[in-house]
Amino acid sequence: MFQSVRLSMAWLHTWFGLVLGFVLMVVFFFGALSVFDREIDRWAVPQSRFEPQPMPSFDMVLRPVFESMQPTREAIADMAPRVNGPMPQTYTAIDRMGAYTTHRDPVLELFIGFDVPGAKDPEEALWAYRTIDPRTGASLPDDRLKIGSEFFYPLHYSLNLHWRDAGTWIVGAAAMAMLAALVSGVVMHRKIFREFFTFRPDKTIQRSVLDLHNLTGVVALPFHFFFAFTGLVIFAGIYFPVGHTQLDPLHQLSERLEAAETGLPHERAGVPAPIASVDAMVAEAQRRWHARGMAGEVGFLTLQHVGDANGYVSVYRAGTDRIALTGEGIHFKASTGELLREDPAPGAVGSVNEFLTGLHLQHFRHWLLRWLYVLGGLTGCVCIATGFIFFVEKRKRQHAKQGIQGARLVDALAVTTVTGMVVATLCLLIANKLLPDALPGGWPPRGDLERYAFWGGWLLAFVHALLRSAPVAAGRLSPAWAEQCRAIALLAPLAVLLNWIMTGDHLLRTLAAHYWPVAGLDLCLLASAALALLAARRLKRRASAAPALDTVKTGVTHA
Amino acid sequence: MLAAAMLASAAGMGWLALAMEPHWGQVFGGRARRRGTIRGLRLAGGLALVLSLCLCLGADHPSMAALVWIMTLAAAALTITFTLSWRPASLRWLLPGG
Repeated sequence: MFQSVRLSMAWLHTWFGLVLGFVLMVVFFFGALSVFDREIDRWAVPQSRFEPQPMPSFDMVLRPVFESMQPTREAIADMAPRVNGPMPQTYTAIDRMGAYTTHRDPVLELFIGFDVPGAKDPEEALWAYRTIDPRTGASLPDDRLKIGSEFFYPLHYSLNLHWRDAGTWIVGAAAMAMLAALVSGVVMHRKIFREFFTFRPDKTIQRSVLDLHNLTGVVALPFHFFFAFTGLVIFAGIYFPVGHTQLDPLHQLSERLEAAETGLPHERAGVPAPIASVDAMVAEAQRRWHARGMAGEVGFLTLQHVGDANGYVSVYRAGTDRIALTGEGIHFKASTGELLREDPAPGAVGSVNEFLTGLHLQHFRHWLLRWLYVLGGLTGCVCIATGFIFFVEKRKRQHAKQGIQGARLVDALAVTTVTGMVVATLCLLIANKLLPDALPGGWPPRGDLERYAFWGGWLLAFVHALLRSAPVAAGRLSPAWAEQCRAIALLAPLAVLLNWIMTGDHLLRTLAAHYWPVAGLDLCLLASAALALLAARRLKRRASAAPALDTVKTGVTHA
Repeated sequence: MLAAAMLASAAGMGWLALAMEPHWGQVFGGRARRRGTIRGLRLAGGLALVLSLCLCLGADHPSMAALVWIMTLAAAALTITFTLSWRPASLRWLLPGG
């Protein structure tokens, strides 16, 4: 079909890259933002702007909160179709409950899974969630969208498209395409080493864009490869769901065998029992970690079969001192505090898996590495964006002659995914600050409105890019690039200004207090505004000098 | 320690770039270089990158150091490339009197 391997690779690289590149752009950009998801949460939820806290006392702080937790009316209604018989109004039988925190979390997230009598799948629980201030146990308003960890982060791996996990599958396909694009890209590239340090901004656009595409693809190749690959490893359970489909009976059996082997009960005993002091169990776990020479902050605390004689407490370590996503879990009998089991060190396969998932999920404490990951992610964005622009540059004059609209459409989509995505993000941040604390009755929840602002802003950017794309069909530059850059230069400082007005935390104050989560985001917003302004000016100069497109700057705007 | 590692990476990448003909030209103009200089630059570049790895290993747990090092190399390569494109003369400090 193709004359040479190189040509077939070029075909694969071009078309798979183009189609799934739009998805990859979202994955890379919001992945880069997710590195600082907790910090973005602080910016979004002013009530949570204080220093990270350790796991508080269960007996004094957490227990009363857990006792007051009930599922929301929406959650009850949502589960009703999967239950035989009517849904009860209050729930008491707790299958599982716990709390999760990291070294970057001031607020603490609690969850409870209630047993529902008559559930069609007896393993399914009805979940309730609460976010508290661990210093006092006071609840935070739960209609606030944690923009970083509840919106950008899931957007990164699921596109926030939850219907039958469709988003996760699309992202998985994109990650596969990315691996293929990396391999085919390396095969196509004739001068990997000779042009390793090559970027010629003053050559033709097509040449400088290709330089930048090669540069960002090659220097960050290990990063691109490992993140696409480990992303697939993390979701292997969704992509190959053998455990819960073909092998379901085997899975049940394996769970029972595992329970027998570990001594951690799989079922309730049906005999009520009180809970002993969990604080004493946590102290014992910390003593045991300390004896093994490991840092001893608790990251994850769970109670299984609460209030039952078979109940047990699991204490996991926050593994901030290594890459591997470890827990070194220690388990106690809930009613007596007796030690049931200490998780053994993982085997070879387990260690590799922990390293690969930990590398991607970043529970470690290492600020430099975090920033380097952001750099890697943005490098990926530049690589994909320059790929789009190269595609358009290569074809637009020919398409103009032949009267084909292909280059025009790709260019409009490129504007939407490069500058449009930044515009949408800024719309979300601005909506977060503009919406009043208490909404009038009958309005959708505050968090939903923030989401609508994001999708609405993105839709507007798309419509704008399409409407302004006519010059591309004539082989010229679309004015949408410069216009959206100017929109970014306007919206980003506006977000900073609104943060100041609504919360009183202006940059001088946050910088003086060394409160980096908020100061850092404000500074990044101002920096992107400056870059966008620079890009808009360069684009204008290019447009008036020659009917062409300055691609270098549009890529850089993503920072 | 990590700052030193980043500096070593940048210097290493800079020397490796100078060992290549077009980049030597960007920085030093038409000045001729001897064969020995090229070999010396390659060696210095390689050693600086190894030194950078050692510094990373000194700062963190090995699993973490490996990642920091790889990402540092990418950052250094980008820095050197953009410096070559826009401010090539500022790389002369890598080879005083070259």
